Amino acid sequence: MKKTKFSAFLSTTVVCYLFWLLLTGQLVALIQPNNPFSAQVLIAGAIVSVLTALFSARFFVHEKAFWFFNPIKLILLAVYCLIIFMWELIKANVSMFCYVFGLKKTNPGIVKVETDLESEYAQSMLANSITLTPGTITMDIAESKGKTYYYIHWIDVSTQDMKEAGDSIKGTMEKWIRRIWR
Amino acid sequence: MEAANVFTFSAICFVVLALLLVYRLIKGPSVVDRAVAADSIDILADMALVLFALASKRSIYLDIALVTAVLGFVGSVMVSRYLEGRL
Amino acid sequence: MMDYVIYAFIAVSLIFALTGVVGMLRFKDSYSRMQASTCISTLGVLGVIIGAIIYSVAELSDISMAVKLGVLGLFYIVTSPISGHAIAKAAYRRGVRPEKKMKCDKYGEDLEDDN
Repeated sequence: MKKTKFSAFLSTTVVCYLFWLLLTGQLVALIQPNNPFSAQVLIAGAIVSVLTALFSARFFVHEKAFWFFNPIKLILLAVYCLIIFMWELIKANVSMFCYVFGLKKTNPGIVKVETDLESEYAQSMLANSITLTPGTITMDIAESKGKTYYYIHWIDVSTQDMKEAGDSIKGTMEKWIRRIWR
Repeated sequence: MEAANVFTFSAICFVVLALLLVYRLIKGPSVVDRAVAADSIDILADMALVLFALASKRSIYLDIALVTAVLGFVGSVMVSRYLEGRL
Repeated sequence: MMDYVIYAFIAVSLIFALTGVVGMLRFKDSYSRMQASTCISTLGVLGVIIGAIIYSVAELSDISMAVKLGVLGLFYIVTSPISGHAIAKAAYRRGVRPEKKMKCDKYGEDLEDDN
């Protein structure tokens, strides 16, 4: 089992504490004057998030620990989630509508697609983005000879060539994810 | 039209959609279909809970929806691990 | 005026939830049904969540409710792909295959090569 690094522990604690504040409504107490801070909740949250981070930091953080707190990357992440990814999501949902109500024929199959992202987070983020768009599900990630491959179940296989299929599945998402996790 | 009525009506629509999925839950040829159908029923019931929270203006339903979401996720990951034989 | 925006979001959500349900009832093989269920957990959820956030901020002016709704939507977006590909991989390893042969099956070929 891996040892927990201190930086990983610290960043996990901060994220856990922010999440606790969100869920218990203490961040809202800043805005509404009639709903003051409660010291009990704040202290209990601190204890719980330290304990949680002690157990779970080694699973979450493997690479740079403080990436999450870099504002430029956060802005890029927000642009990706709110504009680029949302547009892909809407397109894929509309085409799924066409498949379901018989406007287009389905033609399912599993294709193999290569990616050249290096960071683990970037690879899992691209896999999750592909799975979230209806019409494609990432089934497995395999590494062989230093290259990373996705096996993707695709509902309408238009081409079996690795490069063309990759362009048509990943679209602009891969470019943005590489930009975020550089 | 009053907003609360619209929310209640659309919540009922979500529940009807969830009931339609019970067909796939019962008939589904493989266990995977059943797992996916149960997950989707969970999500649709959650959406009905959110709409009821809006209609009755109480946020307590949202806590229940959050707990149901967590349990549904844990349940479907559990099922898939069991199917792979690693549990 | 704001009401109609919220109703529009909820209607979009209902349409895509209906798409997912009909797809799950109508498609012939397990993997395609799984694809249809993704429709429910993306736009089917996001429409209701966005509409509810607008309603709770603009009409109820209850910000803690909006924050809770945001956490719920974020949770769905983060977790639904994880359970999705866990179930897809488990189904393939378990031996679930569509009745009609798939057009191409690179995963099966590579698994056979490994064994």
